[in-house]
Amino acid sequence: MSETPLLDELEKGQWPSFVSEIKKSAKKNKKAEGLLGQLELSYKEKKTHWKHGGIVGVRGYGGGVIGRFSDVGEEFPGAAHFHTIRVNQTAGFFYTAEALRKICDIWDRHGSGLTNLHGSTGDLVLLGADTDSLEDIFCELSKEGWDLGGSGGGVRTPSCCVGPARCEFSCYDTLALNQDITMTYQDELHRPSFAYKWKFKFSGCPNDCVAAIARSDFAVIGTWRDDIQIDQDAAAEYVQNGLDIQTDLLAKCPTRCIEWDGSLRINNPDCTKCMHCINVMPKALRPGKDKGACILMGAKAPIVQGALLASVIVPFIRLQPPYDEIKGIIKKIWEFWDENGVARERIGECIQRVGLGNFLEAIGVEISPQVVTQPRDNPYIFYEEYYEEEGGEG
Amino acid sequence: MATLEELKARKTDIGPPPVEKFLHSIIKENYGKWRYHEILKSGVLAHTAESGAVIYTVRAASPRLISTDFIRYICDLAEKYCDGYLRFTSRNNVEFLLANKDNIEPLIGELENNGIPVGGTGRSISNIVHTQGWVHCHSAATDASGLVKVVMDELIDHFKNEDLPAKLRIAVACCLNMCGAVHCSDIAILGLHRTVPKIDNERLPKICEIPSTVASCPNAAIRPTFIDGKKSVKIDEDRCMYCGNCYTVCPAMPIADPLNDGVSIWVGGKVANTRQGPSFTKLAIPFLPNNPPRWPEVTSAIKNIVEVYARNGKKYERMAEWIDRIGWTKFFSLTGIQFTKYHIDDFKHAGLSYRRTTQMRS
Amino acid sequence: MPNFEFGGKSYDVDEEGYLQNPEDWNKEMAEEIAKTEGVEMTEKHWEVVNFLKDYYKEYQIAPMIKILIKEMAKMFGPEKGNNKYLYELYPSGPAKQACKIAGLPKPTGCV
Ligand code: SF4
Ligand code: SF4
Ligand code: SF4
Ligand code: SF4
Repeated sequence: MSETPLLDELEKGQWPSFVSEIKKSAKKNKKAEGLLGQLELSYKEKKTHWKHGGIVGVRGYGGGVIGRFSDVGEEFPGAAHFHTIRVNQTAGFFYTAEALRKICDIWDRHGSGLTNLHGSTGDLVLLGADTDSLEDIFCELSKEGWDLGGSGGGVRTPSCCVGPARCEFSCYDTLALNQDITMTYQDELHRPSFAYKWKFKFSGCPNDCVAAIARSDFAVIGTWRDDIQIDQDAAAEYVQNGLDIQTDLLAKCPTRCIEWDGSLRINNPDCTKCMHCINVMPKALRPGKDKGACILMGAKAPIVQGALLASVIVPFIRLQPPYDEIKGIIKKIWEFWDENGVARERIGECIQRVGLGNFLEAIGVEISPQVVTQPRDNPYIFYEEYYEEEGGEG
Repeated sequence: MATLEELKARKTDIGPPPVEKFLHSIIKENYGKWRYHEILKSGVLAHTAESGAVIYTVRAASPRLISTDFIRYICDLAEKYCDGYLRFTSRNNVEFLLANKDNIEPLIGELENNGIPVGGTGRSISNIVHTQGWVHCHSAATDASGLVKVVMDELIDHFKNEDLPAKLRIAVACCLNMCGAVHCSDIAILGLHRTVPKIDNERLPKICEIPSTVASCPNAAIRPTFIDGKKSVKIDEDRCMYCGNCYTVCPAMPIADPLNDGVSIWVGGKVANTRQGPSFTKLAIPFLPNNPPRWPEVTSAIKNIVEVYARNGKKYERMAEWIDRIGWTKFFSLTGIQFTKYHIDDFKHAGLSYRRTTQMRS
Repeated sequence: MPNFEFGGKSYDVDEEGYLQNPEDWNKEMAEEIAKTEGVEMTEKHWEVVNFLKDYYKEYQIAPMIKILIKEMAKMFGPEKGNNKYLYELYPSGPAKQACKIAGLPKPTGCV
C-alpha cells in the first residue's frame, strides 16, 4: 500500500475519519487503494486529479451513473475508472440493517466498497465502479428492489424530511408524496430531456429540514391556515419549568402576535406560521388542523446568474392522494419550461427572465399578493392592454 | 458479466422500494399521530405519540464517505439495540431508532468506544453538509472531506453538547457549483479559484462547442476567436471572476491553480422559515490559503467566529439574527476580521446591499 | 490516449470512445463505433445521427434533447419524436450514444 503521510494526519482527532474509512476499504480492495494513493497526491499538489466528468451509463437509462476518470490512472490503476452510481434512497432515509447489508454485499463484490450516505441531492451513492461492472451492479441492485437515481438535465432524485413517520410538526405526508412523485416521473428521472436539472424536495413544515427552499426547483413545504392548537396546561408547565416566556417566546414572534397572562393568546390572523413558538414548546403548541403546503419554486446555487432562494408560487394547497392538483401544476410548468427554457438555465432563472407574473399567468395559477413581499416600486411596466382610437383600423 | 438477455430482462423504472418495510412497528402504528418530542440529552430524542407510545432516537456522527465496513458495523448495532431499524438525516448523521429506553446508554457506550460521537441535536453544531472535493470531483478548488474533518475535530464539543445560542449549521462546498446548501448556512466554507482559466487552444476546437462555451460565461468575458487559423475562444481577463462555469461546459479550459486556489468563509445564512425567515450567507473572509492536510488558518478562523457567536448570541438567535441585532460593523470588530473592498458586492444586484440611510450603529 | 482501430488505421479517442479529431469521422467508421455501443445502424438510426450532424454543422452545438425530440417529430412524425423511441434506438441514451456515433464532442454540463 502506498505511503500516505499527509492523509495520515487526518486520522488524528476525535471526529470520525474518512481517511480511516478509505483505508479500511483499501486493505481489501484495489480500487479503494488507488483512490487512497491518488488522494495523497492531491493533498501533496493541492489539486484534483479527476478528469472532466464522463458520460458512462447503463442500458435503458440516460442518467444515474456519473463517469469519473483519473488523470493519473497509470500510477494508480485502481482509480483509473471510478464511476459514481446513484441509488435512489428510501423516502425519509429509513433502512433496515438487512437491506443495507445486501447493498454492501453487491458493492463489495463489484466496486470500491466506498459510499456516501448520502449524496447532496439525497441518493445513496456508490463511489468507485469500473465501466465493465456497471451493468452487473445495476442488475443485482434491481433484483434486490433498488433503482438508480437521477443525473443530468432531468428530474433529480426527489427527497423529503422524516415527516409523519417521526415528526409531530408534519403538515402533510412527505414520504407518501415523495414516493408518489418519484414513481410518477420515472421516465423524466431516468431519461433526462429537460433544459437543465430539476430538483423536487418535500418538507413537512416551515422548519424545512431538507432545505427545500434553498435547494430545489420545486419545493413543497407544509403549513396550515387556521389557528395554532394550544394546550394551556402544557404551556404553563414550560413556564413553571423556567422558560423565559417574555424573551424567548413572545419577543421572538416576528409579528408579535402572542401574549401571555397566565395563559397563551395568539392573534392568529397575524401569525405568519414561522414555527418559532411551536419549536420552543412542542408539548403545548401544534400547527392548526387545516393543513396543507406552500409551493415555492426556483432555488439554486450561484451558477450561472447568481444564487436564488425559492419563491412562493402557490401559497396554499391541500395534499391528498392521488395528488392530481399538484401534478396538474407540474405538467403546466413543464410545458411552459419546454417552450421557454434555454440550455443550462434553471427554472428559477427562467422565471426571472420571463417575469413571475407572466409565468403564473402561463401556468394558470392565481396571481395573489402573497407571491411578493411588496408590489413593484419601478414604473417600467409592460402593459399588454390599451385603448384604441374609435373608428381606427382596429 | 451480464448478458444482453439478462440486461433486457432486467426491470427498469421500478423506483425506490416503498418505505413501509423499513419502518419500525412503533413508527408504523403511530405514523402521523405523534404528539410531541423532547430532547432527553444531547443526541437523544424521544417522540411520544397520541397513543402514549414512545420511539427513542440516538443521533450519531458519520464522515459521510464511509466504507461498507462502517455500514455493516452500524447495521450490527441496529440489530443489537434497535430491532434492525435505522435512518439517516439530511445532514448525514446516523439515527438509531429504539423502542426500549434501556438500550440507549449501552448503544451510546458502544458508539463512543468506537470513535463515533453522539450529539447534533437542538442548540448544537450538527454534522457538516459537504461535497466531493479532491476525493471525487474534477472541479474542486479544495478538498471537502478534509475540511470537514479538521473543522469538526476543532468543534466537536459543540456537536456533543447543546451549548450554543441556537443550532449552528455549517456547510462546505469545494467550488462555486455548490453541490451542498452552503449558500444558506450559518457558516459556509467555500473553495474558490482566483485565476483565469487556461485555454488549451489545441484541444478546444475539437472537444468543445464554441457557442456553448461563449454562452456559459455569466459575465460575457468569453469571445470566439481564431488562433493560428483555428477556431478557439479568448477571455477578457478583466471581466473574469473565476467562476469556472466555462470549464463545466468545456474541458479544454481548466481553471485549477494550486498556487492560487483556496477557501473563503461566509456567515449568516439560514434555511428555516422560523422568525425572520431564510437568508443567504454573506462574505466574512474572502480568502484563506489551501493548507492541507489540516488547514490551520481555516480551522482557527471558524473556531473564532463560533466562539464569538457563542459568547455574544442570545438564546434562540441564529448566527444571522445575532449579526442582525449587533450589526455587521460590530461583527467585524468582535471577530477581529478585516473588512475589505472584496466584502462589497459588485455583481448584478450589488446596489441592494449598499447602505441607503444615515441610520447606522457607530 | 486510447485509440480506436478502424480500417487498418488508429484514431485518437478519449477513454469513453469519443473521437478527438472530428475530421477523422466517416460513415463506415460511425457504423463501427455504433457496434462498440451494441448498436446496429439502420435507416432509423441514421435519421437521428444525420439530424445531429446537420444541426451541429449549422449551430456548432449539439441540440438539447428536447429540441432533438421536437425536430424529430416535425421531420418524421410524432411516433419518432419522443424519448421512448430514441431510447429504443439508442438504449443508453441519445446524448451519450448518438453523439458519439455522429463524431460530435462529448456532451458536458452539470452532472
Ligand atoms: S421539516 Fe418540519 S415536519 Fe419535516 S422533519 Fe423538519 S420539523 Fe419535522
Ligand atoms: S408561529 Fe411564529 S408568527 Fe405564529 S405565533 Fe408562533 S412565533 Fe408568532
Ligand atoms: S462543489 Fe464543485 S468541486 Fe465540489 S463536488 Fe460540487 S461541482 Fe465538484
Ligand atoms: S471562469 Fe467564469 S467568468 Fe471567467 S471566463 Fe469562465 S465563465 Fe467567464
